[in-house]
Amino acid sequence: MTKSAGHQHAFLDKQSRAPMLFNSLTFVVFFTVVVTAYWSMRSWNARKNLLVVASYIFYGAWNPPFAALLFSTTAMDFWLGSRIANAKGRHPRRVWLVASVCMNLSMLGFFKYGNFLLQNFQWLLARIGVIYQPPHLDILLPVGISFYTFHSLSYTLDIYRGVLQPTKSLRDFILAVSFFPQLVAGPIVRAGDFLPQLVDPPSRRTGRFLWGLLLMTLGLFEKIVLADTMLSGSADRIFDYAGPLVALDSWLGVMAFAGQIFFDFAGYSICAIGAALCLGFHLKDNFRFPYAAIGFSDFWRRWHISLSTFLRDYLYIPLGGNQVRPVRAALNLVIVMFLGGLWHGAAWTFVVWGLLHGSYLVIERVFRALFENKAWANNLATRVLAGFATYTAVCIAWVFFRAADFTIATRMLRGMFGGHAHGDAILSTREMLQIGIVTFFMILVHWSLRESNIETAVTRLPRWVVTAAWALMACAIILTQGNSNAFIYFQF
Amino acid sequence: MPSSTSNFKRKLRLPRLFFAKPSEIVPRDYERPIPPLPWRGITVVVVLIVIAAASAWEFYCRSIGYGPTLNDNEDLWTSTRRRVKPESVVIIGDSRAWFDLDLDELQKGLGKRPVQLAMGGSCAYPVLADLANDENFHGTIICSVVPRLFVAPPGTPPMERAEKAVRRAHTQTLAQRASQYLAMPLEEHVAFLKQEELTLDDLLKRLPIPNRPNALVPPRLPPYFGTLDRERRARMIEECARPGKLQSTIQQIWLPLFTPPPPPTYIPKDVFMAKMNDAIEARFRDITAAADKLRARGGKIVFLRLPHSGGLKALEDRTTPRTGIWDRVIKDTAAPGIYYEDFPELSGFNCPEWSHLSAGDSVEFSKRLVPHLRNALQL
Repeated sequence: MTKSAGHQHAFLDKQSRAPMLFNSLTFVVFFTVVVTAYWSMRSWNARKNLLVVASYIFYGAWNPPFAALLFSTTAMDFWLGSRIANAKGRHPRRVWLVASVCMNLSMLGFFKYGNFLLQNFQWLLARIGVIYQPPHLDILLPVGISFYTFHSLSYTLDIYRGVLQPTKSLRDFILAVSFFPQLVAGPIVRAGDFLPQLVDPPSRRTGRFLWGLLLMTLGLFEKIVLADTMLSGSADRIFDYAGPLVALDSWLGVMAFAGQIFFDFAGYSICAIGAALCLGFHLKDNFRFPYAAIGFSDFWRRWHISLSTFLRDYLYIPLGGNQVRPVRAALNLVIVMFLGGLWHGAAWTFVVWGLLHGSYLVIERVFRALFENKAWANNLATRVLAGFATYTAVCIAWVFFRAADFTIATRMLRGMFGGHAHGDAILSTREMLQIGIVTFFMILVHWSLRESNIETAVTRLPRWVVTAAWALMACAIILTQGNSNAFIYFQF
Repeated sequence: MPSSTSNFKRKLRLPRLFFAKPSEIVPRDYERPIPPLPWRGITVVVVLIVIAAASAWEFYCRSIGYGPTLNDNEDLWTSTRRRVKPESVVIIGDSRAWFDLDLDELQKGLGKRPVQLAMGGSCAYPVLADLANDENFHGTIICSVVPRLFVAPPGTPPMERAEKAVRRAHTQTLAQRASQYLAMPLEEHVAFLKQEELTLDDLLKRLPIPNRPNALVPPRLPPYFGTLDRERRARMIEECARPGKLQSTIQQIWLPLFTPPPPPTYIPKDVFMAKMNDAIEARFRDITAAADKLRARGGKIVFLRLPHSGGLKALEDRTTPRTGIWDRVIKDTAAPGIYYEDFPELSGFNCPEWSHLSAGDSVEFSKRLVPHLRNALQL
């Protein structure tokens, strides 16, 4: 069918029209000024006002007029939240909620899916013989719209569900939606998790601040050094190559992308968590060593946790979750993953990626129902094998996520499964070594820490190792000179 | 009747709403754990190690010949593009226009200080098209022609490099602009801040690891041999101008870079060659259309073929002879062209690394070029 030109372009030119990047000098200066001013202020209200202004500057530095869009959706949800809370009876509450959902999703639909919907409408009409040439809408996708729409939407949804009281402070709600560390690429922080942190001012704690700085260093190291320097060049070359590739290069290209997207997105999330900690705020983990997942439900408990829990709480459970007949539960999973795929971008390749994961989850359920109680199903060898199978299947799904269209995806898959015995080899030995070494250590670390977390791991390490690792990461970032791409998830 | 106080409150409803304390929301006790380590001490040691390592790296880079210079990225190009005025003289094209044309000499001779928009390893067309489409611009374009770069088809690195810069000029955000202004003073004082030479990625690329015999790996790019200022004027460093290892290394790198690559394995050779010819014909049409558009507004354009020497000249003469692309460009556009070999005073220069003039020679060459430019542009 159709493909999104925007999607095709996005991976090729990630830096064009990027917002303020964590890995930019502008952010270093911006963050230093904000943190200094923030902690030098005594008044909690003044600090929150400062964060609101800073967040809007952070967003406006990308495209000032779109800050007005961010404000208007936030203000609307603030008002609708109070209407839901004050409405008497189930029906009016539902009406106000529907208004909020429609407002947010129509905004998302127009900016993100406008051209995609038109292209598909054109394709459908053509199937029944009607020739229709829709106008190409020259729509600029507001950066981070998928994230801040969900930040904002969680507020009205939680008020409707009765798990959150509306705030009376528009300023606090604006800050909850637009808090700059999480604004443009997540994690998706629910208003219900953030607003309570705005009640009392955080205390000044040096340890928390410096730990935040260490996390920011770790996040930047993952992004700049591991994702951009070690992996992205190889992944781009493989996926942009117009000819057939041998199996080795195809697999290495997909593994490079698997590592790149993890370090890119997890790196951003860790930076956001670190930056928030420096300001005294606590954001939850967004990744928990996902490439050590055993099975796909385990994978989604570890990958982009803020999105998967959002979809679980606001979509999967309202659809009936697993408290319905097995076939319906399977359908629910597929619907959720279909929409999860579409959330990532207006292209059918993303939909296929989502549907593949939906299918994986359904197949896993069937396997669990059949074999979970068998002794062999829980021994070490089976778990390792299941972990390997999970990683492999996730990599296969990444092909659709990364490929600009189905032609490329098909060519990649054919190469991976030996369909191009006489294909080209385009990776240098250095690139192959980089992919192999980074992937090996990534999986090793994920498996070592799969039942743990980074805080526990750092606590157990000797101090000199923590010091050396922090210094090494900082030196590597300086050596890389910040000459890297924008974060992949900005485009979502 | 409402009291004045309640009126006042009503007027302040929005600000109160804005600053009201959210009494219904209670503090939540979720906190991320902080590892119980002596963070102050660790941070001090880390800062000292990083300062020591960065200083040692800077000292080492300077000791092996690197000096502070600006990085030629899209943001620097964009800041230069912003200087183009309606009647400016603008230099576009490849690195030969960058190294060989001295802005001071051209300013003396032409009466205006040219704006340097040429880019290393790039195709001139995207920049020419951008200027031709700029309705405000009716100045003069001095366009360097290196045939292989000039007709580089869409999707190849020379085209992408130029397209990326042009795109950045139209889409640069405030954050990107601010980063550029912050980076320039640093780059002017720190030698190791060389994005195309001393990054971790570039250092890894230099590792002498042999490739598979059949691997289609891109050829290596030349190492650092020039400096760049805020006007994007490039100057060859002394070490490269002198015979030595750097010079001979660069000479040997040009040869594979300028050798036409074999056709892709996945397209029949005749189909590929037909596609290439179509792309080249399309480029001639586009260049002519852009030149016509510019001249229709009163603008001028002159094409330059700048000096090159040694083995590289022999290679270029063989693979892209003058009768091919150069003559066709001049004929199709009906624009003036200056081919350095046509004039004895321009053809006696030797390019130390075969492709560019030394800093000293570029001044003399530009001085000698001015009368020809004035003549071609009818000044």
